[in-house]
Amino acid sequence: MRITWIWRILVTMTPTPGGWAAVAGGVVAGLLSSCGLQKDIDVELPAYPAQLVIEAYLENGRLPRVAVSESVPYLAEPQAQVPTDVTVVLTRPNGTRDTLRYAPGVNMNTDKAYTHSGRARLTARPGDVFQLEAYDTRGRRVTGSATMPALVPIDSIRWQFNNEPVERRQAYLTVKFQDPAGTTDYYRFQVHKRSIAHDSEVEYTLEDRLNNGQAITLGTSYEFKANDTLFVTLYHLDRPYYQFLQSVQDARNANGNPFAQPSAVRSTVTGGVGIFTVLSYQRQRVILK
Amino acid sequence: MTVRFLLISILVSVSILLPQSLRAQVRYTLSGVVRAAGGGGGTLPGATVAVPALGLGTTTADDGSYSLPLPAGRHKVVASFLGYQSQTREVNLTRDQRLPFQLTEAGNELGEVVIEGSGTLEQKLQTTQMSVERLSAREAKLLPALFGEVDILKTLQLKPGVQNGGEGTSGLFVRGGSADQNLVLLDDALVYNPSHLFGLFSVFNSDAVQSVDLYKGGFPAQYGGRLSSVVDVKLRPGNPEKFTTSGGIGLISSRLTLEGPIQKGKGAFLVSGRRTYFDVFTRQINRLNQDDPDYNPIPDYYFYDFNAKANYKLGSKDEVFLTGYLGNDVFGFNSQNGFNFDFNWGNTVASLRWNHVFNSRLFLNTSASLTKYRYQISNKLDQFGFNLSSDIRDLTLRSDLDYTPNDRHALRFGATATHHRFGTGRLQADSQDGSVNFGSDITYFGTEAGLYASDTYKPTDKLQVEYGLRLSGFRSGSDTYGGVEPRAAVRYSLTPNLSLKGSYALMYQYVHLVTNTGASLPTDIWYPSRQSVLPQRSQQVAGGVSWLLGDGRYLLTNEVYYKWAQRQIDFKDGAQLFVNPDLDAEFLFGKGWAYGDEVYLEKKQGRTTGWIGYTLAWTKRQFPAQRGTNGINNGNPFYPTYDRRHNLTVVLLHQVNQRINLTGSFVFTSGAATTLPLARFAFQDTPGSNSGVVPIYPERNTYRLAPYNRLDLGLVYKLKPIRRSGESDLTFSVYNAYNRRNPYFVYFDQVKDKATNTVTNYRARQVSLFPVIPSVTYNFKF
Repeated sequence: MRITWIWRILVTMTPTPGGWAAVAGGVVAGLLSSCGLQKDIDVELPAYPAQLVIEAYLENGRLPRVAVSESVPYLAEPQAQVPTDVTVVLTRPNGTRDTLRYAPGVNMNTDKAYTHSGRARLTARPGDVFQLEAYDTRGRRVTGSATMPALVPIDSIRWQFNNEPVERRQAYLTVKFQDPAGTTDYYRFQVHKRSIAHDSEVEYTLEDRLNNGQAITLGTSYEFKANDTLFVTLYHLDRPYYQFLQSVQDARNANGNPFAQPSAVRSTVTGGVGIFTVLSYQRQRVILK
Repeated sequence: MTVRFLLISILVSVSILLPQSLRAQVRYTLSGVVRAAGGGGGTLPGATVAVPALGLGTTTADDGSYSLPLPAGRHKVVASFLGYQSQTREVNLTRDQRLPFQLTEAGNELGEVVIEGSGTLEQKLQTTQMSVERLSAREAKLLPALFGEVDILKTLQLKPGVQNGGEGTSGLFVRGGSADQNLVLLDDALVYNPSHLFGLFSVFNSDAVQSVDLYKGGFPAQYGGRLSSVVDVKLRPGNPEKFTTSGGIGLISSRLTLEGPIQKGKGAFLVSGRRTYFDVFTRQINRLNQDDPDYNPIPDYYFYDFNAKANYKLGSKDEVFLTGYLGNDVFGFNSQNGFNFDFNWGNTVASLRWNHVFNSRLFLNTSASLTKYRYQISNKLDQFGFNLSSDIRDLTLRSDLDYTPNDRHALRFGATATHHRFGTGRLQADSQDGSVNFGSDITYFGTEAGLYASDTYKPTDKLQVEYGLRLSGFRSGSDTYGGVEPRAAVRYSLTPNLSLKGSYALMYQYVHLVTNTGASLPTDIWYPSRQSVLPQRSQQVAGGVSWLLGDGRYLLTNEVYYKWAQRQIDFKDGAQLFVNPDLDAEFLFGKGWAYGDEVYLEKKQGRTTGWIGYTLAWTKRQFPAQRGTNGINNGNPFYPTYDRRHNLTVVLLHQVNQRINLTGSFVFTSGAATTLPLARFAFQDTPGSNSGVVPIYPERNTYRLAPYNRLDLGLVYKLKPIRRSGESDLTFSVYNAYNRRNPYFVYFDQVKDKATNTVTNYRARQVSLFPVIPSVTYNFKF
């Protein structure tokens, strides 16, 4: 986490009570864990019917892949529940319906799993609308619709080293782009070191309501060293995807934070849980010299 | 509006005219001022002046004055006040007459058991006012406290009908109301955020506070603007006789108070300050580790507050009172790589009150006050800067007129007007090279007004009625709201020792706290009624019985209440509450209701004093589907986190001898309602993003934490109880004496195999906040 959250406040201007609650909760949790004031307890949770969970990120020029799983009681065994009787149908902007084949696998480049895969690469342009339908033999049916956002290009990437001795010298990084005027836009900013197969070093989401139509500069704190290879990614999100990401973060924060209000996940699909969206992003590689 | 004024006029006319026909005996008015003698300080508001033989009595006004109509003849008049020895004076009443009292403290300030005159219990039996709790700072000082920090608001949590918001916090949740529905007053000026350090300590320094009254229901007509309670804190006047210094050195803070006469016989002043010193230690730790490149410095944190009060007599009929409060929490962080983060928040309160005595039957109090709460966040990293702030500022004018036309009626009229400024979000971000430069300033204004009249009417010795009407209004931009708020209370004495009581009150609240955390965070902001956000409204009925037992040494009361509220406020999941010009779109509206039974037995005389309180209560809220959401809890009723079914408190104070006092308090409450995730799903996210588990929360607050119980013990040992040169004591406290691990919250955690770093199981963990915490405080006075 480092102090990225502070930069998030600095640049994205989206401090939330939940954010402060997270800070306060973090302090409390840290103190308590060090004081030995925690213990295991038995909790009996009421039954909650399993729901289909969809994860589908369509990309132009790539095979459509969808991961379908099931929600489970929170205290259930950790093994993932993958239903095998789900049919997934993708409807393209021209109305063509593709039934994706059930072929579970793992993308070795990204280390992400999927259960259903298409046979042909997608063509997706900004404004294109895709439909998704998933149903099983138990009568569960999940549907969703996704529109590809326009690409917002990165104008420039800069970095600045501090004045510390060489062995402790670090750089912050800034990314500049032009926000489209007249629309409310949402972004996801990520910086990876060396490869995108690993977790990002920096990540946050933002909206443009305070600087709509202006040039926006995002950044990190001092956390990169000389000669680091960085992958800088700027996603342009639609509102449902942004709200889904926010709600996932809020739901996670609520577990273990006495100050946070529990939050329901705002799925972009109906009839189940999950996300169906078309990715629109630009990624650049830089080496900090 | 004409109709409303007509109602007021009728009310007043009837009040004044009625008693003329009821007079059966020549009566005169006994009036005067009750003051503390010697080292005790100035006037004593809220003191009791009574003639027990007649069952007649009254309490002193804010300036310590009283007015008591009595039949002609000889009477024994008793004046009493919490923490002072009662005084009885005989008077032969042949005309309107003044009779001042000077009460002597019940021992020195540092630790004798509070002795309260029996008149107070009798007065509680006789008064129409029900659902009110009064505490003196002296009483709070004797009781054990967390970290030894005496906190009068936390002591109020030991009274029936009052819940806390969580272990160790000072927030009050009164009869099913939330913490923002309390009207917190400091010498009549509003305090918006009465807590330090996320609610762990209240802003009220016990050295400066004289007393606090908590109204849980049956609200008198002079109070308005909040739904659930009135917390009326009075600062202590300075010592009018001599200069005095007092203070204390505690585990986490120290206090110092200076007081004395401004001009002998004319006035007095008091200045009191308090500061914590966590930061002194953390800075030393940071300094010792400054050469370690992997060391993360501990942020600085401290809070301080200053209280000041002065009173000055302008003449025989005029006196002015000046009150000031300034408090701040300061949080600062300077990282080794150049990142600076400062976060400050606090209240500023100032009030000036003018008291004018027209005659023994007519008093006027006029005050002007300012109150402000603000927070400010400042960040700086290299060339980038960021500032975020929010504040609320009130300017208030208020006038109250007390008129006692005869022995059957006591009238009170008044008007108040407040100009609010709500700075809900001010933000500025910039950089030296101009690549970042934007900001926002969202400010609203509002005007709130109230007009009231009330009458305490005593048609017979057995029956007493207090009825009144408050007209309230609020204007923000082009939106105007108004409300008619009837108030009524009645007392009927079945026997001299047994009274039945009932009350009704309707309240409006025009300003709203914007928070969805359930905790008192410094970033809470206040928002006016405007657009879709309508004023909150509540009504409460209560009935009870008061029974004086054991020759007046015990008072047993039982009250039942039912409260229902409309336009209650909550927020959408994921609501964007900060720097949002469309904030009203994030609100959800619903209703709430609460009911319960409170039993209270108190003893105020003798070497052993204290009380036992028990509350059986239910609180519910409901927010139906609206604004594109399913509401809260799918529109079904739910229990808020502060709902507790059972609440038992036992408080005992025992004076062993002149040097030693022992105290103890025990609390048992049912478990708090909380929300746990019922299910989870695996979320991979996009390539290059963290995978993990996401909890699913389908319902709100359906799980109950384990019951809470705790015993606190205290001992006050006087080092210098008698010497003229000064007084001092050591106050020992043991918080959570049997070291119970009370639940603070529960969360779910992954169990991992350390060798493979794979998840093997999930488990529920209960977190407790405070183990047994002993503390000692050294107090002094000279």
